[in-house]
Amino acid sequence: MRLLSISMRNLRIRAVASGLTALAILVATGLYAAILMMAEQTDQRYEGSISGFQAVVGPKDASQLEIVLNTIFHVGDAPGLITLKTCADLRAGRVGGRRSAVRYAIPQARGDSVSSFNFPVVATIDEMFTKFERGGKLLPFAEGGPFEFSWDDLLQLGDELAAHESGKRTGAAEVPPRPMLNDKLRECVIGARVQKKLGLGLGDVVVPVHGKMGEFGYHEHPEAACRIVGIFEPTNSPIDSTIFLPLGTHLLIDGHEAGVFVVDVPAGKNPDDVARMPVNARQIGLTAIVCDPKDHFGARILRQAFGKRADAQVSWPQDVIPKFLRKMGNIADALTIVAWLVLFGAGLSIAAVIYNTMNERRREIAIMRSLGARRGQIFAIIVLEAGLLSFFGAALGVVGCHLTAFSMGGVVEDMTGVHLDWLQFAPWELWLVAGVTGIGAVAGLVPAVKGSLTQVADNIAQNY
Amino acid sequence: MIRLYDVQKSYRQGDHEVLACAVDRLEIADGEQVALVGRSGTGKTTLLHILAGILRPDRGDVEVVGARIDQLDESSRDRHRGRHIGMVYQTFNLLQPFTALENVLLGALFGRGTGGGARERAMQLLDQIGLGDRMHHRPSELSVGQVQRVAICRALINDPELILMDEPLGNQDRATGTQVLDLLLQIASERGKTVVMVTHDPGSAERMQRTVDLATLRAEPVNMEVGP
Repeated sequence: MRLLSISMRNLRIRAVASGLTALAILVATGLYAAILMMAEQTDQRYEGSISGFQAVVGPKDASQLEIVLNTIFHVGDAPGLITLKTCADLRAGRVGGRRSAVRYAIPQARGDSVSSFNFPVVATIDEMFTKFERGGKLLPFAEGGPFEFSWDDLLQLGDELAAHESGKRTGAAEVPPRPMLNDKLRECVIGARVQKKLGLGLGDVVVPVHGKMGEFGYHEHPEAACRIVGIFEPTNSPIDSTIFLPLGTHLLIDGHEAGVFVVDVPAGKNPDDVARMPVNARQIGLTAIVCDPKDHFGARILRQAFGKRADAQVSWPQDVIPKFLRKMGNIADALTIVAWLVLFGAGLSIAAVIYNTMNERRREIAIMRSLGARRGQIFAIIVLEAGLLSFFGAALGVVGCHLTAFSMGGVVEDMTGVHLDWLQFAPWELWLVAGVTGIGAVAGLVPAVKGSLTQVADNIAQNY
Repeated sequence: MIRLYDVQKSYRQGDHEVLACAVDRLEIADGEQVALVGRSGTGKTTLLHILAGILRPDRGDVEVVGARIDQLDESSRDRHRGRHIGMVYQTFNLLQPFTALENVLLGALFGRGTGGGARERAMQLLDQIGLGDRMHHRPSELSVGQVQRVAICRALINDPELILMDEPLGNQDRATGTQVLDLLLQIASERGKTVVMVTHDPGSAERMQRTVDLATLRAEPVNMEVGP
């Protein structure tokens, strides 16, 4: 028997009032913890994820933030298309002068996903594994290695596809055959989280799907089922949740024919006439080009060159993300104030709930005093009660926050591109629980003073 | 030993000062069993509270179990009461949310502490008093007599030198009351405890070694029409 067990028993006696008060604290603490967790993990993920993505070229009619969020964090649908010509120009140094401005320019196209987890599929070329650097290093493979689909393979496939498409469009007597999806194109590399979640290994097959399971237009692409040839080590970035497959596969998937080529309709031209015009490989549509300026001048060349273009723009994750996080931070600050207000209200309700019980507890306190309990012990019992109530509410709030992160992680990832690690506990969570417990204990001071001043002789003989 | 000299306690009631208890001199020897009797309002319960250190007299000397409790501060009086005095009330005063065993242990918690085998001692006491199979029941699940016996166990848990009882048998039928009182006096005698019992019941008073009428403890008559 300890003072603590008396406090616990007192809470149990008033289970409903205690439960409701703890619930208010749970909500406030959970809200506060969720805000901090989101802010912290968003900062970590976003700042960690943009490493390697020096510049991203995307369509002009999207915002720079949209381009970055879509390309790096796979948030939302692709905001538009740019042409393979833009990528070819970048690679050949035809953007902004004679000198090549970039070390690499890697084309990407996305739109499909894999499994009910909606792991995004990024179609690209093998330079994503041989040139793209994250933190100064190539993406590390845990098992296997890259697929083989080079820039030259892309151009060759693009030419063949363009010849076939042109034949169809112009009504040629003999339409060149459409390139086929061969085994070389049916290979893919997956991120660590994909592997873990789906329990996949080298040699296993993944099937890209279009749309979200259960939604209108959802369908599988069994013809593009790809064998896993490589699995990345965890990078703690959206790459962990990504399936990389050859860009050629993306171009040859059934149903993608109509959107493979970007065909502008010039002013004054009949769209039907334009639809009958031949196309070429350089009109192949991409969702983004990931590139790395060679140096400071390269970056300046890119800025100047794309500043004048009407079809594409360059976006700088290192500039865009911090601005975005600052805006997010302001929202988080506002929500934090709301959480503190809720917490303050919960503290007041603790004080009110316990204070209101003091009258009915006068005899109980008098009995304890008659047994030798000092005023300080009565004071401690009541403060402990308030502290315990807050502790349980706060602890459950933090646990609830993690469980919410577990259950809502998919939705959050869809909306923000941030994969919430629900098992990631931070030291501040302990401080939060301790702080809320302290607030509760402080809230218990007033009723504790009232309780400790209970007169023994006046209340001991009452026979309720 | 209990010694009281020139003790007086009064209360304010509106504009009036009401004398609740007045004792010129009272001495009770160690191990003595004394019944305090007197008509209503003579200050029996007030005197009991003064002996327990719950109330502090306005004036006078009060020595209880080797301590001048009239000179002690409140915290020291609480500590003294917890360690040296066991109390049994007419209204039982058990805490309803706690089991019989826990109620007895509460006495230990605020007395000599719950270490040093207090739990075993409490179980032994309850067993001895015939509640071995009811110790995990709450007061609401016990009969009146059983509740009173739990209260006696609680008073004895710290092995106090002094046991104070305020109408301890008032809520029981005569047969149960006699049984409980017999048991308590037997334990007190065996262990050499001093017992002071406030009672209106002449039968109970007769069972004690000495009966003190509060009206006789004051040389000059005082107005005691209104008590606390």
